[in-house]
Amino acid sequence: MTWEFDLVAGPHKGRTGGLAWDGNAMLYSAVQEERILRYDPAAGKADVFRKYTGRTNGIAVARDGSVFGAQEGGRRIVHFLNDGSTAPTHELLNGKHHNQPVDVMVDGKRRVWFADPYNGTPPYGPPVYPFLDHASVLRLEPAGARRWKMKRVTHDTRGPRSILLSADEKMLYVADGDAERGDVCQLLAYPVKRDGSVGPGKSLLVFAPAERGIEGMCFDGDGNIVACAGWKKSGIGPSLYVVSASGTVLETHPAPADLPMRCAFGDAGRESLYLTAGDGGLYRATNTGRGGLKR
Amino acid sequence: MHGSLDDLKIELDLLAPGAERIVGKNPPLDIIARDVIFGEGPVWDARGKQLFFTDIIGDTIWRWRPTGGLKAVLKPSVKANGMCLDLENRLVVAGWGGRTVFRFEKDGSRKTLADRWEGKKLNSPNDIVVKSDGSIWFTDPPGGLLNVGMVGGDLQRYLDNQPVFRVAADGKKMTIATDDFVYPNGLCFSPDEKLLYVNCSRERVIRVYDVKPDGSLGKGRLFYQYISLERGVPDGMKCDVEGNVYCTGPGGIFVHDPAGRVLARIKTPGHHPTNFAWGDDDWHSLYITMIGSVIRTRLNVAGVPSR
Repeated sequence: MTWEFDLVAGPHKGRTGGLAWDGNAMLYSAVQEERILRYDPAAGKADVFRKYTGRTNGIAVARDGSVFGAQEGGRRIVHFLNDGSTAPTHELLNGKHHNQPVDVMVDGKRRVWFADPYNGTPPYGPPVYPFLDHASVLRLEPAGARRWKMKRVTHDTRGPRSILLSADEKMLYVADGDAERGDVCQLLAYPVKRDGSVGPGKSLLVFAPAERGIEGMCFDGDGNIVACAGWKKSGIGPSLYVVSASGTVLETHPAPADLPMRCAFGDAGRESLYLTAGDGGLYRATNTGRGGLKR
Repeated sequence: MHGSLDDLKIELDLLAPGAERIVGKNPPLDIIARDVIFGEGPVWDARGKQLFFTDIIGDTIWRWRPTGGLKAVLKPSVKANGMCLDLENRLVVAGWGGRTVFRFEKDGSRKTLADRWEGKKLNSPNDIVVKSDGSIWFTDPPGGLLNVGMVGGDLQRYLDNQPVFRVAADGKKMTIATDDFVYPNGLCFSPDEKLLYVNCSRERVIRVYDVKPDGSLGKGRLFYQYISLERGVPDGMKCDVEGNVYCTGPGGIFVHDPAGRVLARIKTPGHHPTNFAWGDDDWHSLYITMIGSVIRTRLNVAGVPSR
């Protein structure tokens, strides 16, 4: 069955990026416009959620409704608070500024996990700080009011683009590699230990050289990974995959636009699949036959 | 990250006849401070015979005396940036990360002079100058809400523009002097204060404005645009007593005549100059803040005194 996507918002300038369902509406990043928008399915239109986001890409809604953002331009995770202000978090890993985060998620312990690859677009400000000599999954852990400490999670990634924690938070899935930088892309699974560190990563999928790997992913209600990947310039083109937790590709579907960026379930019952893409659109499919994982 | 200071020497590009009369031939180099992450905001206090400067990323306002060395004046400084002295010789600070303009009072306390425009928080005041009528002029780009290592407590931008503001001498009335800039940064008056120069780090231009008797500005005119393969954008900017305009740019400090023509470039290899200030008793010394250090050289023409 073909998944039928409709363009429901945009196109915006540049690529659209991060997606997060806030309970009533779908938040999405128009990265280059430096805005986060909020698509309300009841109203059928998108309004501005936040301006001047500093090229925030990945977003995650915390329990209190505040939003964490992966601010590519500022090389930091920012916290968009409910009063309209924006708090910094902690920007240093062992005293050094990390790279340019693209994806972020919050776990049940209020820890903030993020993917920290290198990036084609330079950050804001004078180039005082070099990038880290590794591109890893990192994690912020609460350390008192508005205080955080940062830890490194992966030690074998080249450039993580997207991250996902299983519902029981015992498995971390990482889409690693940036085809635009010439990486070979793969999907890795790491067991998360009780102390928050991860065991050895297992490669679940490996894309062919020059194929664009997974840029965004989410879980469906059965615990499968729904991932978006691919591009027109090589391979089978922009695509969506349903991947079992153990790494078997169950379904393959064409994506409605080149450079699919992120996907996430939303709407009542979480029955619609939303997708952002390189053309700056927000797309939605209501006939996937799948629903999102309710956390 | 930073080149070795001990290898550093100042070189000159003499680019027009008469340049040597202004910048000399073999400028000396003294190291004022080594352990600076991102120097900025230099201002010479003639009464105290001391230099004030900021380390934005190091989060400190420093004082340096030829006799007494370095002392922290304020730490944390909430990423203080440009500084100047007012008519009563008080230090006035562009509070980049803290999003205010504030002044050090005689008793050492600090007084906020500006923090909002039409009820909304300022962006991040970058550089600042006090005119001889006591009015305070400052640029308000958004970099202090974004730049790596340079932000304060609230990173949300609220204003939809990035003005140059003017605060009247009585401190009560604040106005937008000009809103022509994508990223206004350095600003200075001509020696007679009939002209205001403002630069833009993003468009890499200097524009010049006629200053009217009521303090408002005429229409801006293009003065110069920096186009180069070398690193560096317009940032700190000040005039000498002859009205020549000095501005940090690619590879060093550019010296322009009042018509905008480049006369010379003062090169600071290995380091990236951010700002500078004339100082010492004869105002012939040029204190240069950089990424990594603060240095001093000497020029043949005096700068406009900071007060």
